[in-house]
Amino acid sequence: MMSARAVGLGPALRRAAFSQNLARNQVALRTVLFKRAVQTQSLPPAASEEILNQQRLKRPSSPHFTIYQPQITWLGSIVNRVTGGALSALLYGFSIAYLVAPGTFDSAHIVEFVAGLPEYLKYSGKAILALPFAFHSWNGLRHLSWDMGKFLSVKGAYGTAYAVLGATAVSTVALVLM
Amino acid sequence: MSSSILLRSAFKSAAGRNALRSTLQVRHAASSSTQYVPGGPIYKGTVNDPTTFPPPSKTHGSYHWAFERLLSAALVPLTGAAFATSGSAYPILDGILGVSLVMHSHIGFDSMIVDYLHPRKFPVLGPLMTWTLRTATVATLVGVYQFNTNDIGLTELIAKVWTA
Repeated sequence: MMSARAVGLGPALRRAAFSQNLARNQVALRTVLFKRAVQTQSLPPAASEEILNQQRLKRPSSPHFTIYQPQITWLGSIVNRVTGGALSALLYGFSIAYLVAPGTFDSAHIVEFVAGLPEYLKYSGKAILALPFAFHSWNGLRHLSWDMGKFLSVKGAYGTAYAVLGATAVSTVALVLM
Repeated sequence: MSSSILLRSAFKSAAGRNALRSTLQVRHAASSSTQYVPGGPIYKGTVNDPTTFPPPSKTHGSYHWAFERLLSAALVPLTGAAFATSGSAYPILDGILGVSLVMHSHIGFDSMIVDYLHPRKFPVLGPLMTWTLRTATVATLVGVYQFNTNDIGLTELIAKVWTA
């Protein structure tokens, strides 16, 4: 009985054992035991595309990058884009602001505003500007060296990545103290 | 099963052959009329249809790539020059920076739109952002030109703000 339950025949056998008619009627017993659980449906060949599209909608997206171990190769690539985007956003923002309101965003007002800030804000502001500029500049040189066919190996990618990080740290400090 | 019946009838008579052909044509028409849904993981056609590629163009390929590299490489001596001197001594430096930095930024922003808001996935937002970027780039070019012409210029502004 245990093995019958293990293969999922428990309810069918129990029904067959307790039913007087089924126990004697071989045809009825077979019907109970081998009843198909899967319902089939006849479809024209043209319906295949519809089924395919329904399956495509339920497809999971490709593995997201959060499943990967953080590696300096792809982290550096993301940081390169983020720092470049941030610096460009500043350039665009300032230029459009000057175009819209030249009287408010002229150099005299900006310099006057920055000069009135407390020292810690000046230093932190300079660090916030210097860090992305330094990283994007050095990493830009790294990219240009790749474009020339240099350091195109895993070792080269890692070595230049650490070189860029070191140069970024040094030049950020130097720029903040300028 | 219906196809096997059709096949059998096709071998029997010319009328059956016509029926088979019309069945195939109907099937083909059904597969080509299935609507492509932008924004979803539904591709054009069935699993047996090849994916479509944009027509090859050097303007969007090797020329574009070479232009990007030349622009980036040109920014290296320009950045160095901006540290060594200032736009007040050489106004042409601010002029070149005001164009090359904006071009470099435009290409960078455009790559982000192509990567994250591709028209294939975002049929409305993608082109909208592309045109917003183009408008912003033109406005930025005009704004930088105005600042370089009527004010102290980019390099001088950064130098003064840095030591303010």
